Amino acid sequence: MRQFIFITVQGIFRDRVFKGIAIFAFIFLLIPSVSSLSMRQVVELSLTLSLSLISLMLLLLSLFLGGSSLWKDIERRYTYSVLSLPITRTKYLLSKFFGIVACLVLGTVSCLVVRYVAWMYPPLRPVVWPNVFLSIFFIALKYILLVAFAFLLSTFSTSFFLPIFGTVAIFFAGSATQQVYDFLQSQSAFGYSPLLKKGANALYYVLPNFSAFDLTANAIYGVGLSYSGLVLTLGYFIVYTAIVLTLAAIVFSRREMQ
Amino acid sequence: MRKYVLLLVLVLSYLAIISSFTSHMKNRPFLERMGYTPEPLVLKFFSADQYRLSAAFLIVKVISYYGSLVEQYQNKIYIPPEYPEMGKTIETAVKLDPYNMDSYYFAQAIMIWGASQVKSTNELLEYGMQYRTWDFYLAYFAGFNYAFFLKDYANAAKYYKRVGELTGADLPMNLAGRYMYESGRTDLAVAYLSSMVKSSTNDAVKKSLQTRLDAFQGVGKIEQACTSFLNDRHRRPRSVEELVQKGYLEKVPVDPYGGTYYLDKQGKVRSTSKFAYGVASAARERTSPFNTNDSRLSH
Repeated sequence: MRQFIFITVQGIFRDRVFKGIAIFAFIFLLIPSVSSLSMRQVVELSLTLSLSLISLMLLLLSLFLGGSSLWKDIERRYTYSVLSLPITRTKYLLSKFFGIVACLVLGTVSCLVVRYVAWMYPPLRPVVWPNVFLSIFFIALKYILLVAFAFLLSTFSTSFFLPIFGTVAIFFAGSATQQVYDFLQSQSAFGYSPLLKKGANALYYVLPNFSAFDLTANAIYGVGLSYSGLVLTLGYFIVYTAIVLTLAAIVFSRREMQ
Repeated sequence: MRKYVLLLVLVLSYLAIISSFTSHMKNRPFLERMGYTPEPLVLKFFSADQYRLSAAFLIVKVISYYGSLVEQYQNKIYIPPEYPEMGKTIETAVKLDPYNMDSYYFAQAIMIWGASQVKSTNELLEYGMQYRTWDFYLAYFAGFNYAFFLKDYANAAKYYKRVGELTGADLPMNLAGRYMYESGRTDLAVAYLSSMVKSSTNDAVKKSLQTRLDAFQGVGKIEQACTSFLNDRHRRPRSVEELVQKGYLEKVPVDPYGGTYYLDKQGKVRSTSKFAYGVASAARERTSPFNTNDSRLSH
């Protein structure tokens, strides 16, 4: 399986899409000068921009690698020759998944940028580096979960569109579920129909909750972290990702390959 | 060959049009320049996990818009800022990222002086205090607003007490007390604006604050001369010029907003500029487009 992960990573590095997205990393160089536009929080703005750029790059990678990797292999009939080797479909699926996960683990460059800006403009509050690293780590987890969804959609889709656009839809829905849930629990939603509320609540539990992975306030503004909350989020991530991958493995095992 | 000639003609046409185009883009009204700002909830949904970036982007847009106006003022072109629209955009930015200090700072440094938005700025600051629980600046701003604009000293003291608690020093309380009860509001404003000018990193905002500080210092000088005049002669001076003639003022201070200082019927120091750009020159032309009632410096 390790070999397959390695081959997947090699394949990704050779991929033009990956190279195209990696070019985005050059934007990191502009962050120090763009951050100086802020009046009172230059370091905070540089952190915001760095985390945003990491998040955007990971989103694009998740969409294009996660959404197209499996589909491309099936389309090119590469899967058939691989599956003739002594490897189960599940192992093949998981090795592709972990290959992409390995490519998603980026982010140290951004810290160097922030370090540079922090040196130029001493902030009012010192940068809490553990929070910054944890925030990047949780951003990566969020996109790993998204890649799992992209894989699930790829396993039964026969076209390129469903994995890509389906993943985009899940990304937006997952980013908003907590917001919608909070709104429906508040006084402002008093007049809404109970059926709508129940439907929205059901969706809240079914869809992924990406807000839990958002530690940007803790990273940028040094707000204290709740460690029990982090452990719960980590547990949520492991269980949820495992469920999605298991579903993907089941569907992929049953898929007819001609 | 034809293609190259065509390309050359097109590039020349582009160069001919670009200067007017840039100037048109630069002078568009705020709403056109900013574009429509959606409701915070909608914007947050579509920004997904980039909502803090959206907030920072909105603030930078407002700052650059204001910066371009300050640039115009220096060229003696007075375009009144569109305060309500700016306020709305800042509010949206705060709803997206309540931790972003730039929103509060801009509202406090710029909006509050020109837009009669004391109440809404205080609401914004109080909202921010729920998030930036460590930040004494927000309480310091609110304390100043209550003391200076609203003359609500009980609330001002409450916020200055919070500043003391957050900084671990009694100084802000003592200072506030001294400024409010002994030295008067002009000194309070001078002390406040001096600290704002020192801490400002944005050129446009710094210039704007410096101008207001200069105006306050002018008022302060005249007030001081009035007090000495009253103590010596047991009557109020009739005009600022009388203070100069009798040797209480070396010369009449220059109002940086282009107006002339004068004493009103109650002996308060005021200016024909009403401490806003363009008012004095417009008054001279008797076609004031501003008709502003902003005379917060005159008290």
